[in-house]
Amino acid sequence: MTPEVQRLERLAERLRAVDPYIPPPGAKIRGWNLVWAAVEQSTTARSRVHPVRRLVIGAAAAAVLLLVGAGAASADSLPDSPLYPLKGVLENVRGALAFTAADKLTYHLDLAQARLTEAETMIARHRIDLADTALKALDDQLNSAALLVQTERIADPRSAARLQERLRQAVEIDDQQLADLQGQAQAPAAAGAISQARQHAADALTLANLPSASPGASPVGPAGRTSPSHSAGHTSPTATP
Amino acid sequence: MRALGKAAPDDDRPLIERVRKGDQDAVRTLYERYFDRIYNYVYARLGRAEDAEDLAIDTMTKSLTRLDLFQDQGVAFSSWVYRIAHNATIDHYRRHGKVTLVSLDYAPPLESADPSELAVEQLSNEDLHAAIRDLTDEQQQVLILRFFQDLTAAQVAGIMGKTIGAVQALQHRALGSLERALQGRTAN
Repeated sequence: MTPEVQRLERLAERLRAVDPYIPPPGAKIRGWNLVWAAVEQSTTARSRVHPVRRLVIGAAAAAVLLLVGAGAASADSLPDSPLYPLKGVLENVRGALAFTAADKLTYHLDLAQARLTEAETMIARHRIDLADTALKALDDQLNSAALLVQTERIADPRSAARLQERLRQAVEIDDQQLADLQGQAQAPAAAGAISQARQHAADALTLANLPSASPGASPVGPAGRTSPSHSAGHTSPTATP
Repeated sequence: MRALGKAAPDDDRPLIERVRKGDQDAVRTLYERYFDRIYNYVYARLGRAEDAEDLAIDTMTKSLTRLDLFQDQGVAFSSWVYRIAHNATIDHYRRHGKVTLVSLDYAPPLESADPSELAVEQLSNEDLHAAIRDLTDEQQQVLILRFFQDLTAAQVAGIMGKTIGAVQALQHRALGSLERALQGRTAN
């Protein structure tokens, strides 16, 4: 051990022997009173905050549950239901998430089928006005599907051929359902709307066979109407994307 | 004659949980465990009983009412309390305009004073306290914590946010600086 280290060790020992400063009893009592008062106050403040926080969390959870429940309930809602507009919102969200041509075609054909089912139910409930709206929305979806096939033909003819075949099968099924429905419909207005829907479904198939319109031009259907066309002035849950 | 005793082990966590629930006994236990130590620490730093009392109370209040912050610190409760006390003394220096001292680490040795002639046994407590207050902030901190508070190098390292090796090196330099400061005092 060097002399310097020895000196510093002695100094360290001397420091250890220094008497500590002890607080006077009065200071300690005063300190305790102040500290306890502060702790008590902060504990009370925390316990006051907690119920409010619980309330906010509970309200938020209830709102989320309500939205999820309403969304689930609206999936099967019909045109005469208050939840029907929400169904359209969810369908639009689904449409925005369809990126490939095949996904988009599936989307349009699913919605066409949904509109047809709604029309059937509305006719059964003697809501011809709502049935008419649903049939026009069915026509819009089939037209959109036909345009999709047209557009795809430019990018990928083989893919377009597959899409066209799917569209053909779907229209065939829809037409069969419409024919059955036409046989059951008693109201002349309903029968007329169904007949028109069958014609438009056939037009959609013809439209899909046509070469694509030049870029920027509005596609024109075989009956001379601009597609999609029927949504204007009618209420359907989903605007055609 | 030491009254502070050995540093408390880091067994404060069960008490802290009870303090969070407003348990008065737990608050009292932690208060009794740390108040004297913090008072002693602050007094050694500032040299005034009134200031030591105020800052010790302030430190204990903050320590026991801001436990939500302590949870995020990742250090022992004792380290946290000392850090609050240290920050309180720094704030006190700032408010009262303490003169910044040049570190004595690099001060030239006094030619007239022979270190071997320093009779440490004869030094008064007041001389030692006064000489310590002439040191740099970190040097004061390490000497007070290691020798007045009987904390281990590891505990001091936790408080100061340094490695144990850095604390030991700082302690060595601080003792050398203190020795020179005491020589200067006895020479005058």
